[in-house]
Amino acid sequence: MIVELFILSLVILLAGSIFPLITASFDRRFIRTFSFSCTIVASLLLGMLSLMTLLKGDSVFFILYQPIPGFSLSFVIDRLASFFLFIIAVVSSCVALYFTGYIEHENGSTRRNLLCSCTNLFVLAMVLVVASANTISFFLFWELMAGASFFLVMYEYSQRDTIKAGIFYFVMTQLSSLFILLGIIVLYIISGSFAFLHLSPVSAPLITLAFLALFLGFSIKAGIIPFHKWLPYAHPASPSPVSALMSGVMLKIAVYGIVRFLLDVFTPDLWWGVLILAAGAASAVLGVIYALKEHDVKGMLAYSSIENIGIIFIGVGLFVIFTASSLPLLATISLLGALFHALNHSLFKSLLFLTSGSVVYATGTRDIEHMGGLSRSMPVTSALFFVGALSIAALPPLNGFASELLIFIAFFSSVTVVDPLFKVILFISLALFALTSALSAACFVKAFGSIFLALPRSQESAAAREVPRTMLIGPAILAAACILLGVFALQIFTIVGFAVPLPDMLLVGLLLLGMAVLTYGALYFTASHEVRISETWGCGTLSQKASSEYSGHGFSEPLDIIFSAIYRTRTKNERIFFDQKNCIFKEGRGEIRLLKVFEEYLYRPIAQQSMRLAKEVSRFQNGCLDTYLFYVFITVIALIIFLGWFA
Amino acid sequence: MNFDFVLYLVINTAIILAISPLFVSLIKKVKAWTQGRSGPSVFQTYFTLIKLLKKEVIYSPNSSRIMRVTPLVTLAAILVAALFVPLVFVPEPIGGIGNIILFLYLLALARFFMALAGLDAGSCFGGMGSSREMSISSIIEPTTIIVFAALAFVFKSLNIFDMFFLTAASGSPATPTLILIGISLFIILIVETSRIPVDNPETHLELTMIHEGMILEQSGRNLALMELSSAVKMTVLMALLINLIVPFGIATTLTFAGILIAVIAFMIKCSVLAGVIGLFESSMAKKRFFQLPSLFAMAFFFSTLIIIIEVFS
Repeated sequence: MIVELFILSLVILLAGSIFPLITASFDRRFIRTFSFSCTIVASLLLGMLSLMTLLKGDSVFFILYQPIPGFSLSFVIDRLASFFLFIIAVVSSCVALYFTGYIEHENGSTRRNLLCSCTNLFVLAMVLVVASANTISFFLFWELMAGASFFLVMYEYSQRDTIKAGIFYFVMTQLSSLFILLGIIVLYIISGSFAFLHLSPVSAPLITLAFLALFLGFSIKAGIIPFHKWLPYAHPASPSPVSALMSGVMLKIAVYGIVRFLLDVFTPDLWWGVLILAAGAASAVLGVIYALKEHDVKGMLAYSSIENIGIIFIGVGLFVIFTASSLPLLATISLLGALFHALNHSLFKSLLFLTSGSVVYATGTRDIEHMGGLSRSMPVTSALFFVGALSIAALPPLNGFASELLIFIAFFSSVTVVDPLFKVILFISLALFALTSALSAACFVKAFGSIFLALPRSQESAAAREVPRTMLIGPAILAAACILLGVFALQIFTIVGFAVPLPDMLLVGLLLLGMAVLTYGALYFTASHEVRISETWGCGTLSQKASSEYSGHGFSEPLDIIFSAIYRTRTKNERIFFDQKNCIFKEGRGEIRLLKVFEEYLYRPIAQQSMRLAKEVSRFQNGCLDTYLFYVFITVIALIIFLGWFA
Repeated sequence: MNFDFVLYLVINTAIILAISPLFVSLIKKVKAWTQGRSGPSVFQTYFTLIKLLKKEVIYSPNSSRIMRVTPLVTLAAILVAALFVPLVFVPEPIGGIGNIILFLYLLALARFFMALAGLDAGSCFGGMGSSREMSISSIIEPTTIIVFAALAFVFKSLNIFDMFFLTAASGSPATPTLILIGISLFIILIVETSRIPVDNPETHLELTMIHEGMILEQSGRNLALMELSSAVKMTVLMALLINLIVPFGIATTLTFAGILIAVIAFMIKCSVLAGVIGLFESSMAKKRFFQLPSLFAMAFFFSTLIIIIEVFS
């Protein structure tokens, strides 16, 4: 039953991918609608089968294709895989629903058919990665996913920003694949098999090497700082639904990878956990601090994804630490917290990306300083974005809070960890985690305030209209899911069969509602009902102007100053004079810009060194026939000597 | 949900609504005395609230629905948070009510709405208040969490109800660790309720204000709700401090006499604490905004020290 459903959904996704390709020369709406309908239908099937396995808790193994013994395209759908399949299904169906409306407003005529095709291929690849039962097919589909997402990022290929973003993304994603391949090869050397086999817990250096390679590979793909730089480039460059898919789902596939290898292959050491925890805490804090400074709405969401992936890694790190100190109960809580946060993040982040896509579509700009006042012209979009902002700021009773609370509980209960040194490490990470969650509230107050509240700060923003209904249904489903998963968090865990020490959010939600109703009732009977719409305190100005409002930049200024050690700036002055003694000033130019620390001190030196190396190597290729003959001669001689020596 | 618990919900909410405005004016009175003035009556806050309820509400034409729902959501969130800190009677916790992290995030929910309402009308004062409030609340958060983690560490529980049970059972005086935590909690109380040296609750049109700037656009019954919720928030945080450090008098079983004694004991303790806060505020000048991070760093250092002492002892 489950196998048939799975294969059926694969076929539908494949059909949705191939059909727009063969009709690529026709610019017809129904082709694209058909293609996205395929995504939606396949996602519904996948959602159904993943719920079935999640609730029953059994796993299904099957081989799709086996060309040679020892290598097969085999799949396993167990609880972990079906959980991530569920994430893919929910987000892809909502994104596809939104995409059907969005794509008709994109420019690019027949190129849009290719966009549909690649989207389906991308979803298909992610499904196959998650269901893979051996490392080699995992890697193959991982590459397919990387390729498909590269084409999606490059959709607006004629723009310079996109080209830069695309190349950056391609290099980083291939680097990630390279490390994963290294890890898989090392695992093959150790165990002699491509299956996800549990290794014996001997702490051999090869196992450590395999872990480090896989950790690096997955961290690059997940956007862990300092390998995060591709996210803030790729997300603003790609169409919003694509960003929603990449940030909402693809980053989670990297999380899936690391969790799968930690659970099924390795017996983790304590210091691995500390490594993952440290990487997660650093990404979380720095991610949100950079997000506060960002004024491109999609760039801000990209940095916030880095932050949330950091939070998920904190949970995974705690899981490893607690497993290694043999505290299985706490380990389960942290892992559940991390996985639940992965689900929640994919819901609210795709919601935020989709609604901000609507805002960008309505205003024609990505700069939040040129928005404002949209809550009156786009009431539904603003309400949906608001739900997303509440969730991501981890406010009760929404889902972002429920998962962060699980991780908080794991931290607070870490009393039982024996080693005092680890206790101190845990408390420091706890403080950083708390800082992250408070700063993300500040970040989304700023985002919602600048985009939707007060007066419009540009003419485009003043002229914005609500988006068509097709672009509202998808986000609305996601928003409803955010609320339901938050309010019924405890009940959901009980149904799935885990006893977690979560408070009953339903009760809290009801209490909140009850208190609000009581207050309203009390006011209704006691207070005055008069309401006047009039100018309030305007600081003495005759009429209020948008230019006197608090801008997004102004909002984050205090935090800019407090964290000025992190936001380093670089000042540049250039002066040109008429005379040689520099007395008569002709013209000059000065700029202060934010120092891109990681780009200037990490990425660029590495890029420069590899360019230098490439230049050295290219000297061998001088195009002269004599030289090449000489190389061949040397090689043959070396081979003869080598064979004569050893054979 | 048993009968005791429902009764607890009613009693706790009724008491906190009834008494919290008193302590706001009490602090004002103490401050007035130290300045040599006679000051307003101790019931002045009640009179102000009643007056505000009778006034009309004025909304700016630029404001959205956020402005309209904020007072309701704020008061509701703070009243639910108040249920997490038993004032006079500690029942068995039900459904995770009393979870200390949830308590903190309910306060954050109120703050989130308040900050958005500050930005809503588009006036500079509101924006300034929101920006500063969110900045301050972000950088105090690590300290708050560390203090709460220390509490959870000492009492081996995440639930405020369980903590109060333990303190009530052991009776006074509190252990040295708890007194150290109490000092940190006092700093958090000062920061969270926007008092000197962090913020000045008295000023209205000064560039130094934070919380008052944020609610500047509120008027009439909405302003009454905002004032009431900040009074309730202050009393709840005071109750948390009091019932942890000097728990005597608090009732753990539901009897009329017990509750009566507990209310009287709580009123006395809370009045003393209000006096301390008034004296503390009078003895300080407001700090410059950008000196606050170093103050918070100090608080953070102390609370981390407590934890390390606890861990290694």
